[in-house]
Amino acid sequence: MARRLYRSKPRITGRRIGLYVLLIAVAALFIGPFLILLSAATKPATQDVFGFPPDLIPRPPVAEWFREAWTTIPYARFLVNSVIYVGITVPVYLVVSALTAYPLARIAFRGRGVFFMLFLSIMFLPGELMLIPRFLVMSELGLTDTFAAVILPAILSSLGIFLLRQAFSQIPDEIVEAARVDGANEFAIFWRICVPIVAPTLAVLAILGFVSVWNSFIWPLVVLTTQSKFPIALGIAYLSGVSGTDVRGLAAGTVISLIPVIVVFLFLQKRILNSMGGAVKG
Amino acid sequence: MPGLKGRVVGQHWYTPYVFMLPGLLFYAAMFAWPAVIAIQLAFSDYDIVHPVRFSGLDNFARLVDDPRVWIALRNSLLFVLMFLPLTVVAPLFLAMLVNLKLRAIQAFRMLYYLPVITSMVAVAVAWRYVFNREGVVNWLLGLFGAGPIDFLLDRHWALPTVVLLEAWKNAGLFMMIYLAGLQAVPSDQIEAATIDGANAWQRLLHVVVPALRPTFAVTLVLSMLEAMRAFESVYVLTRGGPLDSTLTLGYYIWSKAFEDYDMGYASAVGLLLWAIMIVLAGFNLLVTRRRDV
Repeated sequence: MARRLYRSKPRITGRRIGLYVLLIAVAALFIGPFLILLSAATKPATQDVFGFPPDLIPRPPVAEWFREAWTTIPYARFLVNSVIYVGITVPVYLVVSALTAYPLARIAFRGRGVFFMLFLSIMFLPGELMLIPRFLVMSELGLTDTFAAVILPAILSSLGIFLLRQAFSQIPDEIVEAARVDGANEFAIFWRICVPIVAPTLAVLAILGFVSVWNSFIWPLVVLTTQSKFPIALGIAYLSGVSGTDVRGLAAGTVISLIPVIVVFLFLQKRILNSMGGAVKG
Repeated sequence: MPGLKGRVVGQHWYTPYVFMLPGLLFYAAMFAWPAVIAIQLAFSDYDIVHPVRFSGLDNFARLVDDPRVWIALRNSLLFVLMFLPLTVVAPLFLAMLVNLKLRAIQAFRMLYYLPVITSMVAVAVAWRYVFNREGVVNWLLGLFGAGPIDFLLDRHWALPTVVLLEAWKNAGLFMMIYLAGLQAVPSDQIEAATIDGANAWQRLLHVVVPALRPTFAVTLVLSMLEAMRAFESVYVLTRGGPLDSTLTLGYYIWSKAFEDYDMGYASAVGLLLWAIMIVLAGFNLLVTRRRDV
């Protein structure tokens, strides 16, 4: 009630307008570059991309650069590849992480803490340092330049195991005990009772997994040589290297690559945003 | 913790290991094995064509005499120094801004977070338009009679520009971490301070910042590690140039390994980076722990 009284005061309204102006100015800072990219992608060839003062509104907006980007490089192929990478990596990642996290949360065994630390240590083996040895492991396994080589290193992450362990350990004992009394074995308890309960955590990890696989760049760059296996991020880098690509065409190609991630984000933003804070707090 | 009372019906000694088997296999193949190879390579000569040859401490002796290692080390430390205020301090203010109880505040959180989920490659392309010699930033500078600057081609501006890109891309993530921390600050403490006549700045310094100490521990570590291993941004924006001015340790490792195929030496530099990261993380842990007592 007190708050409502406050709001009716004109001083407070002025402050609110000021805050919105500030919020919008900051927003311009964060999405401005994307808007400039979109502007470049939709400008007709007759309109300069650069120049003072900036002339950002396309007159008229055209779609030809999207067509050009689509045909200059095998764009559809790259998109399909990325979908395949995400489609295989994310489910396997979820299953492996859940299986690994479950006993760490719900089964008493000697060395549980050690195993947990072992999986958390992944955090201190950042991908950048693992490029060389992993590349050699892949050659050893005869997997360089294959889809498998791109997927395998992405299956395990300390965040996944950490969050799922936390989620599993918050399940009340009574629920599990009831099933156990009914004669369910451990795997049935895991699969039919515990996994459905941690579904929200799995959803968060699925989204984060999707984003990270979709954006992955360096590892595919190192391990892939055949263009037809490139994921989309590598495709964009390739497009920017193709000589004669118009700056508008490059912008258009980049915009297309952003669409899937942005769409997923718009639909699931609440979940994504809440997960970040939660992950760190835990 | 459930089940600590002893063996539960339906569980065997091997049950946990059966569950963890896939995870352990991936751990062994994708982390443990490569880590062993990395350490082994650091003490070897290897160019992919000829077999691995043990070379003792040669790589490390070379490392000490290699001026580019020192340039890379200096650039990485500069990166950390510039990156820290941008990701540890600035996002706190962002978080306070989006912690306000205003209509549509969630939409603003979302917009600020957008760069976090987009790929570095795409973001770098966008930035090349913004920081172009005839782009928006140079136009703004022109209004103040400065510039134009070739941000990514200038020896003095390239590194700060890369740092700015990384900070801009990560700001939303740090903001959300602070937001979670802010929302856990008891509101009665803030109200009590307000009643005592503390202004907004005093409330921030004396109530909010002390309450956020555990959050600072997280953002500090995250920020340092992120800055130390900066690589993708350098790769897509400057490739270490101009004149090594953006050569970071991460980029040097990559270029030694996959441009010169000097895998052994690159691994030795990798171990150096690894050691620095562990020391930084340990140092952080020590400092934040001690203050808590």
